[in-house]
Order: sequence, then C-alpha cells, then structure tokens
Amino acid sequence: MPGALLKAKGLFAGYGRGDIIHGIDLEAREGEIATVIGPNGAGKSTAIKTIAGLVRRRTGSIRIGDEEIGRLPASEVARRGVSYVPQEANIFRQLTVSENLQMGAWTDRGHFYERLDRVHQLFPILSERAGVRAGNLSGGQRQMVAFGMALMVRPKVLLLDEPSAGLSPAMVEQMFETIRLVNQTGIAVLMVEQNAIQALRISQRGYVMAAGQVAIADEAAVLLDSTEVSELYLGSRE
Amino acid sequence: MNAQLLVNGLVNAALIAPPAIAFSLLFGVLRFPNFAIGGYITVGAFVAYAANVELGAPLWLAALIAMAATGVIVWLSDEIVFKPMRGQAPVTMLVVSIALTLILEQLVRLVYSADVRGFDLPLQRPYKFWGIRITQEQIDIVLLSVLIAVLTHALLQYTRIGKAIRATADNPMLAEVRGIDTPRVIMFTWGFCGALFGLTGVLAGLDLVIEPLLGWNLTIPIFAAAILGGIGSPYGAILGALMVGMAEELTVLVLPSTYKVGVGFFIIAVLLLVRPQGLLGQPEIKK
Repeated sequence: MPGALLKAKGLFAGYGRGDIIHGIDLEAREGEIATVIGPNGAGKSTAIKTIAGLVRRRTGSIRIGDEEIGRLPASEVARRGVSYVPQEANIFRQLTVSENLQMGAWTDRGHFYERLDRVHQLFPILSERAGVRAGNLSGGQRQMVAFGMALMVRPKVLLLDEPSAGLSPAMVEQMFETIRLVNQTGIAVLMVEQNAIQALRISQRGYVMAAGQVAIADEAAVLLDSTEVSELYLGSRE
Repeated sequence: MNAQLLVNGLVNAALIAPPAIAFSLLFGVLRFPNFAIGGYITVGAFVAYAANVELGAPLWLAALIAMAATGVIVWLSDEIVFKPMRGQAPVTMLVVSIALTLILEQLVRLVYSADVRGFDLPLQRPYKFWGIRITQEQIDIVLLSVLIAVLTHALLQYTRIGKAIRATADNPMLAEVRGIDTPRVIMFTWGFCGALFGLTGVLAGLDLVIEPLLGWNLTIPIFAAAILGGIGSPYGAILGALMVGMAEELTVLVLPSTYKVGVGFFIIAVLLLVRPQGLLGQPEIKK
C-alpha cells in the first residue's frame, strides 16, 4: 500500500466559537486521488481549508511526511508542497493571466518556463489569453487559471475544493480528466466534490463526511458499489 | 484661459499625487481609509525641518532623512495601533486613524508650537516664462512627483514585492495560499507609503509653510483624489490628483479663493452619488 504523504488525524476545527469538524482523519497517499463527498454543510470545505492552514485547527495533527504542519500559516504550508485551490475567489482578478501564473510560482521559481509550458499544454487557451485580466475571463477559464496556478510549483499534494463547481457538463468531464493527468505525473490529490460519482470514478480512496465527521472511509470502488452510500449520498444512478 | 492658474494647478496636483498613490496602496492592502495621513505628512515636514534648519543638513539630505523616519514611524503606527485591530470594521479603523492623526499633530505642536516655519533656503526669484511665474521649488515638486509616479509604476509592475502587493490587495487569502508572506508585504507597503508621506511633508513645506496643520489641510484633497481615481487604484490616484489639483486652482476663476478647500468635499460628494467606484476603480462584486 502506498504511504500517506499528507495525514490529518483527529482534527477539530472551526470558525470562532465551536467546531465545524469533529475529530476527522483524512489522508492523501502517494500517487493517489482521494475524494471527500458528503452533503452540504458536512464540513468538507472546512476540513480542506484547515489542512491548507486557512482555518485554525483547535486540536489534532496534520503531517506532511514526517513534519507537523498544523500550526503553520497558509503561506508556510504552501512552501511545504501543499497546493490548495479554493472553490471561490481563486484567482487574482486584477492581474493578467500570465501574472496569475507567475504568482503560482511564488515559492519555487525553478523550472518556471518548463512548468508554464506544462500548464499551457493542459490549458491551451491560457497561453492565448496570457495578457488578459483574469477577472475578465469566463467561469471555465477562471477555473483553469486557478488550477494552473497550483501547478506552477511542483506540489506534493494538490488540495482541490470543488474543482468542478460552476462548470458546464462538458467542462466537468474535462476537468476530471485533467486532474487524472496531473495525478499521473505523481502528484497526490485530495479533493472535495459535489459531483460524487464522477469524482470517485477517478479516485482510489473516498471519504464520506456527514455532520463534521468522517462517516465512511474506504476504497473509491467500494463506495461506488455500496448501496448505502449511493442511496444516501450519490443519488440514484441511471 | 489664465495660464498661471494652470501652472498653479499642476503644482498642486504634483503635491497631491504621491500621497494619493500611497493612500490608495494602503487602502488596497488594508481595506480601510487611513486618515492618519495628515499626521504622517506633518511629521515628515517637521523631521525635515529639524534636519535642515536645526541640524544644518542640506535639504535633499533632510528630505531623505524625513522619508526614512516617516517610513519607520508609519510602520510603527501599524505595529502599535492598527495591527492589534486587524479585522475590525473599516469605520472603526477610520475613527482610530483620525485619533492617530490628532495625536501625531499634537505631539508636533508640543515640541514646535503652532508657529509657522520654513526651510533654510536661499531666496530665489521665480522664473518667468511668457508672463507665468514659477519657482525653482515648484519645478522640483513637479519633477519629483513624476519621478515618484514612474518609480511606483515600476515597483508594482516589475518587481517581486510590487507584484506581491498587487496580489495581496487583490485577494489576500489566495496570496497566502500561494505562499506569499502577506504580513511582510503589508509591512513593506506601510514603510513605502510612509516614505511617500514623508516626502510629501517636505514638498508641501517647500510650496506652502511648515506648521502642524500642514498635513491635515492636505487630507481632504488627497482623499478626494484617491476616491476620484478609484480607491485602491494607484494609477487612478494620479489621474484623480491631476483633476482635483486643477479643480482647486481653477475654481478661483468663478469663486472667491476661500472656497478652494470646499472643492475636495464637493468632488467626493458628487462622486459618491454618480460613480462610487471612481474613474479607474473596479466595482466590488460580491457573490
């Protein structure tokens, strides 16, 4: 079994008073994609933001390799190879597309042009629109900028918060394909998704969260086959 | 058209532009209008006065000292006053900044009284071109102001820290996530803007007189220029400064000069009614 690159254990966290997540364990393993699904308000986004260093963790540990990162601010978490893509407000609107990508490479400017080429290969439209203010792009293109930024470093782990949110069905398909391609280059992925079935299909592991806890953690294929999971969380399948 | 008024307006604009840029930059990263700028400018003018008149330093050196000292004082004002209040409502911060400007101004008054002073400069006859009078100091003000605008542009567009400032102003959360040490970016912005306020104190002292109310009297036109251009947009601030600077001088054609100070208020009022995001500002879109 591949080792865990990123490991959150017994995580309690929330905003202000009271916790939103209550003692959850999540892992991103080497070379794998793991997806967190669950109903709205289950605390999925909070969990991933806590790992990214944006929400204060009350107790519990977050490790990347052997290093505890639970106390670090988001900028330091980023420097340790955790690249987080927020669901909303995930681009610099006033900056051009190419400046956005430069910002992506902030912590690691080595191999800049190589990585830029790679991002342009994944999202060719971004090279055409390099000089355009990112705020003027369409929703789908913004999502590409956001994702592209996270790939301008070579992260150990990609944290994606609803990468398919707001995309057309065709674009959703493409986004998942891109995530798969990126994963194949050896980058572990931990994502939160509403499009549960499609996300689980490209994943090795899945977590079902409910009411701030991980209700089920298993292989993605097992979750896809489980009648309990499909009735409760996946909706009916045609 | 009275060409002399245009020249006066240009000098006035040149005086307002650097602090309007600084005000706008600070607003960009901190999201509150900092009215302590009046206090900062006054402090800058008096540091330069002390260096120039009391210690006998040449004015260019006194100006550099004033920029450095004001940069540090402005940065300290963040550490001591504003930093502990991060996350408070903008209106709260605004009131605190007004209190700060009063404190700074009164401290200056405590040491130097309310007397009117001037730098130690040789008296020079103003130049005359086609009947327009302009002093060497006024020419210096315009040139320095243009230089500041160009340097700020280069800083924001081409340097790493400048891009970090723009990114932090644009989306602080995302800047953090991409690994930018935003507290350090904010610290740098305070220091840089502080230096601009210090310089403004020197320039204003050259054009006007040095007194504790020096900065306060400039606050409204600076604020008007910044919001006219679109608050948070340094380029808008330059444009705004030109328009406010000109407007202040040109009203003398139609109104008694005592109404000059009202021009800034008038521009702010009209703008808030017609185009609250300013000329070059982006309207806030909240999802």
